[in-house]
Amino acid sequence: MPLIEFADFSFKYVGADSLALKRINLTINEGEYVVITGPSGCGKTTLCRAINGLVPHFHRGYIGGNVIIDGINTRTSSVANLSSIAGMVFQNPSNQLVTLNVERELAFGPENLGVDPAEITNRINEIVELLFLENLLEKHPHEMSGGEQQRVALAATLAMKPQILVADEPTSNLDPKNAEHILEIISSLNKRGMTVVLIEHRLDLVAQDATRIVLMNAGRIVADGKPREILVDDICQEIGVGIPKATQVYKGLKKRGIQLPSVPLSGEELAYIVQEAVLK
Amino acid sequence: MIKIEDIHFKYEGVYTALRGVSIQIDQGERVAIVGTNGAGKTTLVKHMNGLLRPQRGHVFLKDRDTKHMSVAEIARTVGLVFQSPDHQLFLDSVEKEVVFGLRNLGYSAKEAEERCHNTLSRLGLEGFADRSPFTLSGGERKRVALASVLATEPKVLALDEPTIGQDAKQKKLLAELLSEMNDAGCTVVVVTHDIEFVVEFFPRTVAMSGGLIVGDGKTESLLSNEAIIDLSSLSAPQTTLAASALRKKFPEVSNRITSVSDLEEIIVRLVGGL
Amino acid sequence: MSFLEVFQYTKQDSVIHQLDPRSKMVLAITSAAISLMFLNIVPLLIILLCQIPILFLAKSVRRWLRSMKGLSFLLIFIIVFNTLLSTVANPFSYSVALTIRLIALMTSFSIFFLTVHPDELSQAMIQMRIRFEFAFAMSMAMRYVPTLAHEAYSIMDAQKARGVELDKGNLLKRIRNMIPIIVPLIIVSIRRALSVAESMESRAFGVSQNRTYLKRLEFQRRDWIVAFFSIAVLLYLIYFLSFFGLPDWMLWGFSF
Ligand SMILES: Nc1ncnc2c1ncn2[C@@H]1O[C@H](COP(=O)(O)OP(=O)(O)OP(=O)(O)O)[C@@H](O)[C@H]1O
Ligand SMILES: Nc1ncnc2c1ncn2[C@@H]1O[C@H](COP(=O)(O)OP(=O)(O)OP(=O)(O)O)[C@@H](O)[C@H]1O
Ligand SMILES: [Mg+2]
Ligand SMILES: [Mg+2]
Repeated sequence: MPLIEFADFSFKYVGADSLALKRINLTINEGEYVVITGPSGCGKTTLCRAINGLVPHFHRGYIGGNVIIDGINTRTSSVANLSSIAGMVFQNPSNQLVTLNVERELAFGPENLGVDPAEITNRINEIVELLFLENLLEKHPHEMSGGEQQRVALAATLAMKPQILVADEPTSNLDPKNAEHILEIISSLNKRGMTVVLIEHRLDLVAQDATRIVLMNAGRIVADGKPREILVDDICQEIGVGIPKATQVYKGLKKRGIQLPSVPLSGEELAYIVQEAVLK
Repeated sequence: MIKIEDIHFKYEGVYTALRGVSIQIDQGERVAIVGTNGAGKTTLVKHMNGLLRPQRGHVFLKDRDTKHMSVAEIARTVGLVFQSPDHQLFLDSVEKEVVFGLRNLGYSAKEAEERCHNTLSRLGLEGFADRSPFTLSGGERKRVALASVLATEPKVLALDEPTIGQDAKQKKLLAELLSEMNDAGCTVVVVTHDIEFVVEFFPRTVAMSGGLIVGDGKTESLLSNEAIIDLSSLSAPQTTLAASALRKKFPEVSNRITSVSDLEEIIVRLVGGL
Repeated sequence: MSFLEVFQYTKQDSVIHQLDPRSKMVLAITSAAISLMFLNIVPLLIILLCQIPILFLAKSVRRWLRSMKGLSFLLIFIIVFNTLLSTVANPFSYSVALTIRLIALMTSFSIFFLTVHPDELSQAMIQMRIRFEFAFAMSMAMRYVPTLAHEAYSIMDAQKARGVELDKGNLLKRIRNMIPIIVPLIIVSIRRALSVAESMESRAFGVSQNRTYLKRLEFQRRDWIVAFFSIAVLLYLIYFLSFFGLPDWMLWGFSF
């Protein structure tokens, strides 16, 4: 049974004049790592909101079709209930911290779920170490830099141990090292079985980890497949999605009549592929 | 244009954010500020327009100490776009938001409106004028924040993470607009984690870490300095990584490669040289 | 707004901060009740003098003094007006006593609010069997006092950064300058509250009847001591006043 299933799902926000999502059909199975990308305003955030029920329960509007999460129709469930299955990290970190210090923030979700206090303490310790939060524990949300807030927001969601992690540009405020680190963690959680749905504009950061890329434009899914297939497709340029530089080089060479044997997603991969080709 | 002399800053007198930062930015320069999370970048740019005042040290704007200038006064010269649009946007329509700053600077209603629409269309926001900023997508909101400052065409533009949430096309639109303004004499200072954006559009880079400036110079040479890359948690662009990996096998590959076309050229030569 | 600071939690490592909020609540209520029992300058001054060591223990004297300074204008105003308008025998004496009583009352509660973390307060309320949602709303409200101030500052920052002269001109002009802040403040606060609600729901808020708590408050020996002592003093004073009345020296006051 698929974990996430969009069946002909459409949505229009109250007051908007056009549909934010248009007849979306999308099936995501357990253990997948799906990257959702597309130009700004194409409906990525709306799609993610539909996974944990914020659309249509919190953001109201016209709704067509259904979203089924782990067998539950989101129309008939509540955000709070769905959130214990699908943990959501929001696009803007400054608004999603709800308590007065980081420790409380991490405890908030598990407390709501009725997790045993001793277990909560364990989880907090584990996550603090994983995401380097030691020196932030006592800080108030307002007293943190943008990147620090974003790390805490992710940590707070992970503390709930959700089956599905839905992350809306979780690295947008992070420096490259921290971004890499966080993405490594997400990837390792995925390898241990967590299903990941991640929105990202900078595909060079995630293309290697992802098992699948879903490309959206103007409320529709316009391409869906393996990273190495999607990224070489000309549709990316057409709708204004940036592809990794290494992949750009691959495409540039192809235009000039040089066909590399496989599609590189990172600088190292490109160098390796070229070496192999030259040395052969 | 802006001269900062040994400034120190602690939040609430406790959390040290800047511990002695000096930097000089000339008129018409394009400077990128990069560095670790919590390095003090935001704190530094907030000093440039007087929202924060140095607890030690001085900030000069065109040789005038800003100590005696109000933020509003500085704002006539330095426009700042905040890291989080939520901290910047407070009106209930995009148009009002953009016109607000223009009117404060003394533009007539008609002129303000004209400039507003001009800037909105340059940033791919045509058709959004009457929307409430709160109902926009993340990237759209960030662009409204940018538009509200870019429209005023300040002498100095300080942008905190302008590319957050932007796709490749929007980044390009933004870069074009910035380049144009820069050609017209505007000084552009950008805080960003987006290395590729830096490489493409900013000849000078300042790297920060732990409240200090750890590197300041030509972008190319800074990004090939491993110590600095390490200190300020940067990562080199893919093209540079590919080039340096190739150089290990093929010494003829130069170590100054940052653009896609340069790299293509090299590879064509390597492969063609068979 | 600096006088509000005495009602705003400040992080300190002090004996008073470590007390259980419930024992501090008893302390605050009894000491407020005691201040309400008197209307003479001498006993009220004694009460105030008894409160000051507690402030010292809480390492908050300076903050308290600063707020009192911020309030001094208002307090003098109260004295002058009361003296002029009151119809009692010794209006000045009476107004001074009233003012000291006001200070003592505020101090009683400020000791509570200065030293109780909003999260602790909600935890205390929960353990006093108040519904979680209500307790949480209470602590959110407390959380929002500083946030609202913060929000106001960030809107001012945003406006200043776009050329509004907020800190120029005479008092009247400055007050007028506040107007463009108030409307956005309301809009932004509502939006903020909505997005916080959005995140809370997304973190399973309200999903389980058996919500757990990371930290439960425990009444320690020192809490029992504080609570018993406070109540004992209150009872003793009630007993004393109703059977003996105040000694003459405590009735002293100005003769005008
Ligand atoms: N609350 C809302 N009310 C009305 N319209 C909205 C609302 N939120 C988003 N929209 C609109 O719906 C469309 C899709 O928005 P969405 O936030 O899903 O985009 P996105 O793909 O996440 O973009 P970005 O990359 O900029 O975050 C946009 O055109 C946006 O303006
Ligand atoms: N209002 C505040 N109160 C207390 N400390 C703060 C406050 N704002 C920032 N800090 C701290 O000051 C340091 C520098 O913060 P700053 O926002 O300048 O970092 P930054 O370089 O912009 O980081 P980022 O890339 O994450 O945005 C951080 O350690 C942060 O925790
Ligand atoms: Mg979005
Ligand atoms: Mg910052």
